[in-house]
Amino acid sequence: MTLKAHRAHLYPIVLAATILAFAGSVPAEDKCLVCHGKPGFSKVEGTGRKINLHVDQPALLKSVHASRLCTDCHIDVVAIPHGVAQKVNCRRCHYSGNPVGAPQGELYDQYAHSVHGMAVVSGNPKAPVCQDCHGTHDVLSPDSSGSTMYKLNRPATCGKCHIEIYSTYRESVHGTALASGILDAPDCASCHGEHNIKKHLESGSRVSPEHVSETCSGCHGPVGVASKYGIKTDRTATFEDSFHGIAHKMENRTVANCASCHGFHDIRRPDDPKSSINPANIVKTCGRTGCHPEATPQFVSGKIHVDPTNKESGLVYYITKFFTILTVGTLAGLFVFIVLDLFRRAKKARGAK
Amino acid sequence: MDNKPTDTGTERAQIVDSLTKSIIDQARPHIDPNTSPDELEKTAAQIAERINFEANVALSELVTRYSIARPQAAVALQEPMFNRFGKNFRAQHMLMFVSVILLIITGMPLKFPELGISKFVILHLLGGIQNSTLIHRVAAVGLIIVGTWHLGYIALSRMGRTDFLLMIPRPRDIRDFIHTMLFYLGRRSSGPRFGRFSFIEKFDYWAVYWGMVVMIGSGLILWFKEAFSKGLFDIAREAHSDEGLLATLAIIIWHFYNVHFNPDVFPMSWVWWHGKLSESQMKHHHALEYAEIMNAEREALLKEQANKQKTEAQS
Repeated sequence: MTLKAHRAHLYPIVLAATILAFAGSVPAEDKCLVCHGKPGFSKVEGTGRKINLHVDQPALLKSVHASRLCTDCHIDVVAIPHGVAQKVNCRRCHYSGNPVGAPQGELYDQYAHSVHGMAVVSGNPKAPVCQDCHGTHDVLSPDSSGSTMYKLNRPATCGKCHIEIYSTYRESVHGTALASGILDAPDCASCHGEHNIKKHLESGSRVSPEHVSETCSGCHGPVGVASKYGIKTDRTATFEDSFHGIAHKMENRTVANCASCHGFHDIRRPDDPKSSINPANIVKTCGRTGCHPEATPQFVSGKIHVDPTNKESGLVYYITKFFTILTVGTLAGLFVFIVLDLFRRAKKARGAK
Repeated sequence: MDNKPTDTGTERAQIVDSLTKSIIDQARPHIDPNTSPDELEKTAAQIAERINFEANVALSELVTRYSIARPQAAVALQEPMFNRFGKNFRAQHMLMFVSVILLIITGMPLKFPELGISKFVILHLLGGIQNSTLIHRVAAVGLIIVGTWHLGYIALSRMGRTDFLLMIPRPRDIRDFIHTMLFYLGRRSSGPRFGRFSFIEKFDYWAVYWGMVVMIGSGLILWFKEAFSKGLFDIAREAHSDEGLLATLAIIIWHFYNVHFNPDVFPMSWVWWHGKLSESQMKHHHALEYAEIMNAEREALLKEQANKQKTEAQS
């Protein structure tokens, strides 16, 4: 509320100040569009690459920045004609405590430490900046279905650069589910994170061997959304109880995690013949070098995710029950025996006095 | 495990012998002359043995209660010792507890991986799960050796065979158990008298026997899992994990009570090291075995005396 109220006061002041300060020399909105409003307005770089300089005004007016002036972002353009405009720095507005009410937070800092931000800093010209993912003049709120960052559009946006991964993902169980409009299905960011995205082997990454099982458990764990679609949610609990899970807890990273068996971008349903855990492929998956090279079809027959406390697990369930009864019974008996023995001793000691 | 008492045993047998004679002498005028002298002597000897037994109990009781020095030390100083466990058997026990302690240290943290101490043991004490699982396998080999060794021992060694036969549960053990319970509940004035192995010791032995079979069997399946099916692996894993916990708790609660925390032996019974029991311990815990040893000793002595008289008469 207060922010909005402030904004209402600020706009005329800022506008007036800008006009006063640069009166006569600053192009107003209309002036920019004299050239940039023409479809096909472009220039050819020295290298022969054609650069589109046309600004789609209807798109701009639908964007979150509809009320901004061109020069709010293109601050280096102060006269017409102007030279090569610099890349827009979004952080001019999107910083903590900015006076214009632009959404902000730690996102920019997160980005600066992300694999993308670091690549930009290290001088990689292909590394993405804000505009590469969020768009330029047409930037929309990620909740709006037209946004490049809208959940359904995100894979394609990431796929602009990560094209091979995108084509693999599109065929996976997650990719097809999302494409069919299931918004609970994971897109790239669901697993990798957004502004804080890290290299997959870095320990801070959500998909690193250290954290990948936690990330999967977000949906496939006990409170996960997977149950809504009839997918079992005991997968991470059974993994954690398995030797793989225990070794994982003991900070061993050579043991299998979710992705080791199920894959990652190419995760498919077990009944898909291309799935790494399809009965036809599972011997090969378990038998990978460094895992169980001696694996036989017999070794991998039967359920992998077994919950001994579930009756469906068959014999294992009854063995668990048997040992529970045996342990409780034996220890209770021994305990009673010890107590009786001590009681008798105490009585004898009293009698002896 | 030869149960030869020391010299004082011979002395005691002599006492029983003269007591028997004196009983018969005093009773003779009142006894039907047709009674067989053998039967008479047998009965008298049994009574004499009992008198001697009670006298000994009284003696050790007095020494224990009114000793000048610390009570237990006084008993130890004066009493003859009986060999209970031979070298071979003690060596089996030693290899066994070293293996089992290592197995528990490296195994239990994996049963409770979420506990801080488990992480501490595996990561900081043992340097990671690759080390701990290696130690677990080495100790497992130790346990397998003990198991095989013991099977050989009870099959091939004379003492092993005798002891194993005595270990087999009998109806008497059930009676002894009921007797003990009645005694604990105050329905009997004294507990049962045990032979070489009480029902408690038999329980301990067979519990270990069962544990060895389950742990080694399931452990080998887990070790060589690639040769088995996932279904069998799951069963073996559950059994290994559950029986491991049961065995650990039984050792800590039951075995440690019997050999460490029990007021009789606190802080520790040293039988595992020297293999000996004192006479009063024998009388308390293995009264029937003690009486048997004494009888055998006395009979041997009588035989010797008879032979002596024979040779003297001949010369």
